[in-house]
Amino acid sequence: MVVKYLRKAYTNFATYIYDIPPRMLALLLIMIFALLPMTRALDSSTLMMLRDASVMAILAASWDLLVGRTGQMSLGHALFIGIGGYSSALLFMHFGWPVWMVIPVSMLAGAVVALLIGLPCLRVKGSYLALLTLAFPLLLERAVYYFRDVTKAEEGIPPPPRLPAFFQGLIRLDARIAEYYLTLSLMVISAIILYKIANSKRGMVFVSILDDELASKACGINVTNYKLLAFVISGLFASLSGCVAVYISSFANPSFFGIRWSVLPLVVTIFGGIGTIYGPIVGTYIYYFLDMYVFRKIINISEWHYFGLTWEYATFLIFILIVIIFILKWPRGIARAVVEKLEDLEEARPIEELEQKMAKAD
Amino acid sequence: MHLLEVENLTKRFGGLTAVGNLSFYVDAGEIFGIIGPNGAGKTTLFNLITGYLKPDSGKIRLNGEDITGLPPHKIANKGLARTFQIVRPFRHLPTIANIIVALNSPRGKKKIEWIKTAERKAMEMLEDVGLSEMMLEPAENLSHGDLKRLEIARAMALEPDIVLLDEPFGGLSPIETEYMVKSIQRMHLDGYTIVIVEHKLQALMRLIKKVMVIHYGEKIAEGTPEEIAENQKVIEVYLGKAI
Repeated sequence: MVVKYLRKAYTNFATYIYDIPPRMLALLLIMIFALLPMTRALDSSTLMMLRDASVMAILAASWDLLVGRTGQMSLGHALFIGIGGYSSALLFMHFGWPVWMVIPVSMLAGAVVALLIGLPCLRVKGSYLALLTLAFPLLLERAVYYFRDVTKAEEGIPPPPRLPAFFQGLIRLDARIAEYYLTLSLMVISAIILYKIANSKRGMVFVSILDDELASKACGINVTNYKLLAFVISGLFASLSGCVAVYISSFANPSFFGIRWSVLPLVVTIFGGIGTIYGPIVGTYIYYFLDMYVFRKIINISEWHYFGLTWEYATFLIFILIVIIFILKWPRGIARAVVEKLEDLEEARPIEELEQKMAKAD
Repeated sequence: MHLLEVENLTKRFGGLTAVGNLSFYVDAGEIFGIIGPNGAGKTTLFNLITGYLKPDSGKIRLNGEDITGLPPHKIANKGLARTFQIVRPFRHLPTIANIIVALNSPRGKKKIEWIKTAERKAMEMLEDVGLSEMMLEPAENLSHGDLKRLEIARAMALEPDIVLLDEPFGGLSPIETEYMVKSIQRMHLDGYTIVIVEHKLQALMRLIKKVMVIHYGEKIAEGTPEEIAENQKVIEVYLGKAI
């Protein structure tokens, strides 16, 4: 009985993962990330960097579903970081809700906001849509300052109890490691869901809207509904990202609506490969890695005050320059380039085997 | 009751009357041709019928139901499919997924038992137009002739009551034209009602039983191909007046 079950599991593994090199690579990467903390090779600051990267990878992947797959330009995904962050912080502060209730409710809040702003936004197209979406986080940032009795403005909302405490009790772990595992697993789950949605039969409709809206209409597709659907799904996951961000950064403050969170998904997605879902995730990790180990070493943080730029923006600008150089060589993204190489290898394999067999026959 | 009925349809762009007071009808099982010189308003007429443009006045009825001014996707779901004069494939999607998009529409879903059969159905549609070998190729790698056939397969995926083909022979080589004629004939034998707008009269005249000629948005003649070929007014429109 058990043997039969195991054999079936193995067959499934061999067919759906082992035989497809990109999936195998993804599995290996996930395993490496899962085992990393156990080697004790990572110090606490690296763990924090990886944790932040996992959270922002969710944001970038959700952005990619909306922009890369459906073609609806959004420059205002910071809106969802803010909505997710503030709704979870406020829900805790005013009602004292536990974590497992706050997260789904904030995600729903993000989805509802996505629906509400999607309705007027989707009347316009292209760069007009981008400009319109750009405005919403800026508006809400002002609103945070305006309603300071509720939001406490720049002071921020005091920290809710740390999210991992929830898990720490179960499996006695260091707080940093618990956060790391939690964000990593949330990222993997969201990424798989988003990837499945994007590559489902229904997900093909999203790409058809990106390619040719008129032709989708001729196919009997209600284009507006599908665009709204993409907006809502994207908002749902982006606000999850904001929700987790508030738990780990421990303060919901106006910078959650900052333009940085709107531009970051765009840059990392172009870097990793737009429309792939996995591309932005890879891009985010690379950005955070470079940010910590390269840029911050180059720029002396304390002395950086040229042009009124903070060091965060300065390192970001350097990254954008690097992305520009990279897209000259890999215009469709580096993660996509790697995956396409792997797929080519896979396609080449049977011919090699055939050639070997023929050589033996000779 | 006619399958498609167009009554006193008018569309003006500023001072220009693109379609003026045009009436015609198509019966079930017919192949109906619409011809006319460049700028006669043929494509505008198609866009009016399929909902891409809103008429200034007039009525369009499908199966006796008024469809004037409905959005394009609703009209498609009521059973009126179309192709485009300039091919509009979903370039990033594999060929087979182009069909699956159409099967995602409410009408496409009603016709098939979803999940299980969508792929099989899409493969059949591709086989019908001879594209099954290109199934997994991205549509951007297909040749122009293949894309023309893909357009038709995509429209047929809705299993429409009536199909509007906008210049199906445009830009095709003689061999591809021949193939297309055969495809349309087979669709006709399968019982589909077809409306064709076309420039290539030679290929068209072999297919159709009834043809309408329009010029500056107005109907100048209607009848069998033989009648049209002898119509003095039509000859004038195409070749100019005798001096």
